[in-house]
Amino acid sequence: MKAITRRTFLRAGGLATAAVVLDTAAPRVTLGQAPIKVGFPVPLTGPYGAEAADQQAAATLAVEEINGRGGVLGRKVELLVRDDQLKPGVGAQRTKELLENEKVDFVIGGLSAAVQMAINEQTKKAKVIYVSISQSNEITARPDWSPYTFHEAINPFITSHVVGSWAIQNLGKRIYVLYADYAFGQQLRDGIKLVAEKSGATVLGADPHPLGATDYSALFPRVQAAKPDVLVLANFGKDQLNSVKQAASFGLKSQMKLVCPVFLGTMRREGGPTVFDGVYGGTTFYWEIGEKIPTAKRFADAFRKKYDRPPYDYAGYAYSGTRLLLEAVQRAKTTEADKVIAALEGHTYDYYKGKQWIRKCDHQSFQDVYVLKSKKDQKAEHDIFDVVGRVEASEKFERSCKDLGHA
Amino acid sequence: MGRVGALIARHPIPAFFVVFAVFPFVVPYKALATQVLIYGLFALGFNLLYGYTGLLSFGHAAFFGLGAYGTGVTLARLGVTSVWAGLAAGLVLAAAGGALIGYLCLRRRGIYFAMLSLAFAQLLYFVGFHLSWITGGDDGLRGIPVLPVGLAGVRVSIETPLAFYYFVLVVVGAAVAVLKRILDSPFGAVLQAIRENTDRAAACGYDVTRVKLLSFVFSGAFAGLAGGLNALYLQVVPIDTLYWTTSGQVVMMALLGGAGTFFGPFVGAGVFLILEDVLSVFTESWPLVVGAIFMAFVRFLPRGIWGTVVGLEIMGGLDGPPKPPERSHTPRGTRGVARP
Repeated sequence: MKAITRRTFLRAGGLATAAVVLDTAAPRVTLGQAPIKVGFPVPLTGPYGAEAADQQAAATLAVEEINGRGGVLGRKVELLVRDDQLKPGVGAQRTKELLENEKVDFVIGGLSAAVQMAINEQTKKAKVIYVSISQSNEITARPDWSPYTFHEAINPFITSHVVGSWAIQNLGKRIYVLYADYAFGQQLRDGIKLVAEKSGATVLGADPHPLGATDYSALFPRVQAAKPDVLVLANFGKDQLNSVKQAASFGLKSQMKLVCPVFLGTMRREGGPTVFDGVYGGTTFYWEIGEKIPTAKRFADAFRKKYDRPPYDYAGYAYSGTRLLLEAVQRAKTTEADKVIAALEGHTYDYYKGKQWIRKCDHQSFQDVYVLKSKKDQKAEHDIFDVVGRVEASEKFERSCKDLGHA
Repeated sequence: MGRVGALIARHPIPAFFVVFAVFPFVVPYKALATQVLIYGLFALGFNLLYGYTGLLSFGHAAFFGLGAYGTGVTLARLGVTSVWAGLAAGLVLAAAGGALIGYLCLRRRGIYFAMLSLAFAQLLYFVGFHLSWITGGDDGLRGIPVLPVGLAGVRVSIETPLAFYYFVLVVVGAAVAVLKRILDSPFGAVLQAIRENTDRAAACGYDVTRVKLLSFVFSGAFAGLAGGLNALYLQVVPIDTLYWTTSGQVVMMALLGGAGTFFGPFVGAGVFLILEDVLSVFTESWPLVVGAIFMAFVRFLPRGIWGTVVGLEIMGGLDGPPKPPERSHTPRGTRGVARP
């Protein structure tokens, strides 16, 4: 009985806390109609918890701004955040709950290719629009893609083409790749190989390391023997931090340039300026681009004002993806999926970093990509990168509609 | 109360169907009820080995995963359009896996047995991870269709959450009836004899290793059937189906509900999943709460929820013949004298 009492207590306590939090957080939109519900599964617990917290914060900001302007179609927007634990099975289950129990109108979210796929299978079947905000090659390709699937983030193909071609042009033509041995790493590797072939560069070697590896030293002698100009570290999360750290202590940085295709602010901050000194990488957003782009400045300022920290790339995806969808609902003047899809296809927008557009055939969002270099004399906590390059959005960096199976 | 208890004890299978027929209407939503049934069956399979035979396997994810991939690959890749054939493929694959892994693991006892089962499951995980042309690798296996089910010559759609739930209930209920039959047979009695005293069972002339192996195969088959249902349910097979955390989860469910009791695994799966579902909406620290509750059970109610309920005097005889009161939580077969 004791356990049951405690459970009931916790549940009641949780309810009360949630009620208080929601009540204070919810903007004062008093509208008669039922709210538009947006499900938002992200991995709040697990290794990418920091990025997920940024996603949640940014989506909340977008929803608050929209509600502050009177909502969508005169209805309030409600964001229902769920923890997918970075597990596809949990992501699928949470999405089922959102669809069946909460009867959400739309789903936005995901922070791993596998979880996106699991969410996508559910929304596809339910004919509910899903805006994916994390990298994946398959999600815009048939058979995974469906008319209800939209992809606000870029993908490993675009990342490797954009960052790879920039590195070949600016850092050198002899390339070596170390990649995390799973879909993401392999796709980055394939992309780099392809872009090298196209631009007359050579990939001297590409070696895998296990996902979540802690020791990279065995890989380095081969890399050193090949004498590349550029070493691409095609991995994510802690793997990025550990591989850069060990490459630095192995002395690789004095022999070649290090490039991380998806450069993570969280890892750079954890590793510090010395470890990451001189490392290059790609991103879709860094707050400093606001110096030149008004929408970026507006977004970064609003985010900073609310959360007391600047937004990073995954926050950008979530913010833009949320606005993209809700403003399409406004234009379509209905939440009906088919009409919202029509309002999204081919749409051009600029919410946080310059012009973006949704390609009609695969619903991929095309956008500028930035090349960063880690900053040595860091002046503030979030003053960590120099923006050294900008590659303008272009469909030439992505597979064609035909390649993706869209006839 | 006593009379209800006696009734359930006498007719466990009808009681199961009655309870689970109304179950989807008392939980927050139907998909959650479905998940409870599937994980309940998985825990039931695990419990056959742990609770009844006394073998602690730490690698049951292997069979759940083999069942899931068996069913998933059959339906998504091989173009088979019969849900039953898909489920059968998963079940057979898991049973075959049970036979092979069981044959290799049963050469050791106690902790060595547990570690070997864990090692084989992890081995399968990495195989699944790298055979991405079959399994989808890290992205998981996608595109498992929701096909209508052939029932007595009629094709019934199982697309709505409620229809799917009742489809799962029929399959799980049939599996529960089969398991009950196995446990009530002389073979079932030998399993429990092995759990209570392996040496004595051997002295009575039973081929202990063979009985254990058979128990392993049955356990794998039940877990595999659960895995197959899960593949149909999620329409994807995530690679972490094979990961050791899945094995850990089923151990936790069985212990929470009451290992060695017939319905304990369902109770454990239900409590675990409903807690996770309700708590994770409110707090990111939900594992802390679930963990604390689990520890409290292990410490104060080692027979688990259902084990405690059926142990109460007024409910006497609810769950078959009463267990000897001094039976400790660790099944005897796994205790002490491990010979490496």
